[in-house]
Amino acid sequence: MKHKEMVYMTPMPVRIWHWLNAFGIVTLCVTGLQIRFPDHVNIFGAYKAAIRLHNTAGVVVSISYGLWLSYYLIVARSLVKLYVPTLDDLKSGILRQAYFYFLTYFVGKPNPHHSTPESKFNPMQKAAYLVIMFILLPLVIFSGALLMYVAPLRELLLLLGGIKLLVGSHFLLASCFTAFLCVHIYLATLGHTPFAHFKPMWNGWEEEMVEDAEPEKKTDTKLP
Amino acid sequence: MHAYNRMMRMFLAVFMLSAATVYAAVPENGKCMGCHGRKDVKSIAGNSVYIDPEKFTATTHSIVGCTSCHDRVSSGHPGDGSAPARAVCGDCHAPVSVEYAKSLHASKARCNDCHNPHEVRLPMFMSGDDINKKCAKCHDARKILKSHAKWLPQAELHIDSLLCITCHTGSQDYVITMSIESRLPGSKDAFKTATYEELAKLTSGDNIGRVIDLNGDNKVSLEELRAFNHHLRGKNMRLWGMMTPEVVTHSYQILENRWDCTFCHASGPKAMQKSFIAFPDKSGGYKRLAVEKGAILDILYGTPDFYMLGTTRSTPLNIIGALIVAAGLSFPVFHGFFRLLTRKNRKEDDHEA
Repeated sequence: MKHKEMVYMTPMPVRIWHWLNAFGIVTLCVTGLQIRFPDHVNIFGAYKAAIRLHNTAGVVVSISYGLWLSYYLIVARSLVKLYVPTLDDLKSGILRQAYFYFLTYFVGKPNPHHSTPESKFNPMQKAAYLVIMFILLPLVIFSGALLMYVAPLRELLLLLGGIKLLVGSHFLLASCFTAFLCVHIYLATLGHTPFAHFKPMWNGWEEEMVEDAEPEKKTDTKLP
Repeated sequence: MHAYNRMMRMFLAVFMLSAATVYAAVPENGKCMGCHGRKDVKSIAGNSVYIDPEKFTATTHSIVGCTSCHDRVSSGHPGDGSAPARAVCGDCHAPVSVEYAKSLHASKARCNDCHNPHEVRLPMFMSGDDINKKCAKCHDARKILKSHAKWLPQAELHIDSLLCITCHTGSQDYVITMSIESRLPGSKDAFKTATYEELAKLTSGDNIGRVIDLNGDNKVSLEELRAFNHHLRGKNMRLWGMMTPEVVTHSYQILENRWDCTFCHASGPKAMQKSFIAFPDKSGGYKRLAVEKGAILDILYGTPDFYMLGTTRSTPLNIIGALIVAAGLSFPVFHGFFRLLTRKNRKEDDHEA
């Protein structure tokens, strides 16, 4: 038999950042779609409204990224532990996790990774978040900031290959974020119930099913 | 009656003499320019009566001849002090005159305030910068920037890339016209349209189009455009693109649809594939060379300084972007499908992701 246990998985600052970021990135993707394809997409009415909303969301996501980075680096000091894959993760962890997602999940085997506040992410998540948070997001913020000030930054734009290359890179990075959103939201439904991973992102507490025979796990209130 | 005679003479002159040089075709031009082509000749009142022969030769007005407009010159001219008659522009340009009279601008400026009849040329033989300078004679550039910045995102960029008449007339058929600009001495980011003399130093012979048109076929290919951007960038030069109308009207007005960004930005990539490069000539005018169709959409250094949101987007990049998104979407679709098929294999409690 199993019983439910509640684990404080996601502290409030991280939750606020996550939803601010999520809302911002979805806004950026939708407004970006109208900005690039105005002859096919008109969601926000005036084109200028879409540009202004896109710029505002871009600034919000940039500030939110700065806060997230500061929180993990200065306050929680768990950035490396949570986000950087270990040698073991690289050697076998990622493959093991991929093997689970693509094969053993379908035959009913358990997830090889068990989330705890100190080790929230499985090796594949770590690798994906590392690329997203430390490569793609900084790049999309940087290219977006340059595109907001084309006239004064023209010389820098040319050094980087010109405005078209920059716009193209910004668009491809945005496509990567859209693809990531699809995978991210879907994978979040693979908990023991479809919403099991959504709840801790809302109230911080995650339900866990624990075998009765095990000594009852102490509820962990330590912030990661 | 005078107007009718002028019209007839103009048509005859244009049909009979259009291909010939001005002085040879209209002999009286030579007679007039004998004095008016000299800077030292002044009127009795001491005013300059100089007409730049090179600039005048390049105008259509030189083909119709001086006496088409100045048809009553006294036999005692210039000694008798009487000024020759002057034509009214509307005598020949009646439709333009009627159109202009209805515009907001009509009460503010006369034809001559914008167009010097001895230097006038069609917009396609002028640089965008020169056309905008005519507007700037009355409209203070700083005030214009300030008023546009109230509603127009990146106003400075828009004003630098557009002719005033692109938005403030009912002109039609827009193309991208690029001109070669040289960096102002001692400046990091200020450029001005390069002169004939500056470009002549970069190529041998009179054909300065060869600065970009390397094979001299009077067309600029994408490869030539890229080569120009790579090589001449180091020479403190750049290509600057502006959106210019092919059909210009004189219906100066504030058009409602120009407040809407989609007038330009939603025209789609097909609209902006036609582009030209304008080269200065010795007379102060410009000659255009057609650029390979679609070059304006190139992402690899074809026109690194020119991009119009929405309009000059790259189709190959759109396809790559769509494939990335499709790859992201395919995971939930396929994984979800097999998840559904194999749901009986799992006790939901055991399979957290």
